[in-house]
Amino acid sequence: MESRKEVIAGHLVLIFGALIALHPFVSIILQALTPAPGSTATGWTLENFIGAWTRGGFSQSLVNSAIVAFAVVFVTAVAAVLAGYVLSVLKFRWRVAVFALLMIGLVLPSEARIIPLYNFFSSTGLLNTYWALILPQIASSLPLATFWMANYFAQLPNSLAEAASLDGAGEFEILRYIYAPLGLSAVLTLSCLIFLYTWNEFMLALVLMPDNVAVQTAPLSLSFFAGNERTTEPEVIAAAAVLVALPVVLAYFFLQRRFMSGLLEGAVK
Amino acid sequence: MASVEIRNLRKSYATTHVIKDVSIDVDDGQFVVLVGPSGCGKSTLLRMIAGLETISGGEVQIDGAVMNAVPPKERDIAMVFQNYALYPHMTVAENMGFSLKLKKVSKAEIRAKVERAADILSLSHLLDRRPKQLSGGQRQRVAMGRAIVRDPKVFLFDEPLSNLDAKLRVQMRTEIKALHQRLGSTMVYVTHDQIEALTMADKIVLMNDGRVEQMGPPLELYDRPANLFVASFIGSPSMNFFDGTIENGAFRTTSGVVLPLAQIPSGAEGRPLVYGIRPEHLQLGGAGGVAVEVAVIEPAGSETQLYGKLGTDDLVGVFRERLSARPGESVTVTPSSEQVHLFDKATGNRL
Ligand SMILES: Nc1ncnc2c1ncn2[C@@H]1O[C@H](COP(=O)(O)OP(=O)(O)OP(=O)(O)O)[C@@H](O)[C@H]1O
Ligand SMILES: [Mg+2]
Repeated sequence: MESRKEVIAGHLVLIFGALIALHPFVSIILQALTPAPGSTATGWTLENFIGAWTRGGFSQSLVNSAIVAFAVVFVTAVAAVLAGYVLSVLKFRWRVAVFALLMIGLVLPSEARIIPLYNFFSSTGLLNTYWALILPQIASSLPLATFWMANYFAQLPNSLAEAASLDGAGEFEILRYIYAPLGLSAVLTLSCLIFLYTWNEFMLALVLMPDNVAVQTAPLSLSFFAGNERTTEPEVIAAAAVLVALPVVLAYFFLQRRFMSGLLEGAVK
Repeated sequence: MASVEIRNLRKSYATTHVIKDVSIDVDDGQFVVLVGPSGCGKSTLLRMIAGLETISGGEVQIDGAVMNAVPPKERDIAMVFQNYALYPHMTVAENMGFSLKLKKVSKAEIRAKVERAADILSLSHLLDRRPKQLSGGQRQRVAMGRAIVRDPKVFLFDEPLSNLDAKLRVQMRTEIKALHQRLGSTMVYVTHDQIEALTMADKIVLMNDGRVEQMGPPLELYDRPANLFVASFIGSPSMNFFDGTIENGAFRTTSGVVLPLAQIPSGAEGRPLVYGIRPEHLQLGGAGGVAVEVAVIEPAGSETQLYGKLGTDDLVGVFRERLSARPGESVTVTPSSEQVHLFDKATGNRL
């Protein structure tokens, strides 16, 4: 049993940490709401957002980001469920080799693959297309996603699959009716993580789709917007940054409960 | 319904031999109980019948067809697991109807079959609940319901009652037995509880260390145990054993007490033997009785248990009468000589 003092001290530390974490966030929102120099508005204003939206072309880049993020999340989630099932439940023969291979994918720094990826995509003519961003990110999400699902499936009692096989289910039906529905919350948590990660990806976008505005993702166009044009108006750039971050924040708030319960599931059981 | 034949079955993990040459016949409609101490291979044997474990040697046949290479889903066997293995994301009705759904049976027919099974097991009011929202006993019933709905060739049970409290265990024991009588199906039931085995079985298979020690109707194992292991495993409290030899037509224990014998098997004289007598086959008093020094007396209402010493050996007695002797005092007990079991000390086998 913790004493009152300990509880108070603990909360103070947490509040302090929360303030540090929230500070940049709050300050950028406040800045985005402040009238830019030369503006006629007084008090709080939304005109920075309107300016950023119209001048920065964010409507296109947000759609691009969404296309890339959803494609990556969908393909990775489906592939990870299938791979996790084969590796952890069906005890696929070469599983150790596959896990070792995936491990390489986990430990390799992402910067190390950029040059080979550039060469590959330029030789295949896929530079400056959605593929240049979608394919490598599926590949880089897959190791973690596969470990995640394999680990989740391995925690479930074997007797479920055994009972289902006696009930007349084949391997695919066991996945379809038992493992996939039971893994749903793990898949959702995983999808959230991959979505955050993919949405914020900048380096690959910068190198692999520099010349085609039509496919550029939001973080990239934010960077171009900030770097090339409006350095004199930090309030508009702040508004642009908020616009780019907004979908992720919204997604997080909507999925927060699921996300937390998914993360905690293994720990509490 | 079906018969199951197990022929010279073996199971090894690398160098450990878990099942060593086991042969068992289960007749159509029979209730066979596999019983034995923990780790003797009961679950392994059951899972080999179900097809959940590979077979290292020998054969499993169902209705005369060899099953060794047939996957579990084609064996038409239902199994009730110790932890029940209910599908946590499905309701009770969905759990019970799952096998029929896989067989593409129509929704109406599934509903009808599930309701009939739920009725037998008094689960009708729980059909829309999830397994999490059920008590242990209710889960156990759902697991049975899932088996009944399928109307399989063979039912397998792996210690289905071991997670229940004592009272519920006795109740479910009766229910399973009643279910067997009602369905008339072939059932193989694993337990490590000899009382469950004695009360439920048409035929007991007593296993030890991967082998069958004795197989037969319950009372045969009780009345004529084939060896010391069977004699000590079946019956509660366990049979009393006294080492000694036969001299001058009577049994003399190593501590010099003389115990009565009804008849002396030929060739028994002069070699080390074990004299076995069940606690319930001792009588208080009587001529030719022996003196027992009382250690503890446990009255249990309908009967009284006596723990004491016969010479240097421990002795347990169970009596209908009440006993007023105090610890340290001596009481006279007489083994009923018709109920004595004699075993060869060297081999452990019955004479
Ligand atoms: N995968 C395995 N590798 C090696 N040995 C195993 C394996 N699985 C089981 N065993 C051994 O096989 C033996 C029989 O196990 P089994 O589960 O059949 O026992 P049991 O009779 O059902 O016992 P209990 O009453 O405790 O359930 C045990 O000694 C166990 O250690
Ligand atoms: Mg077992």
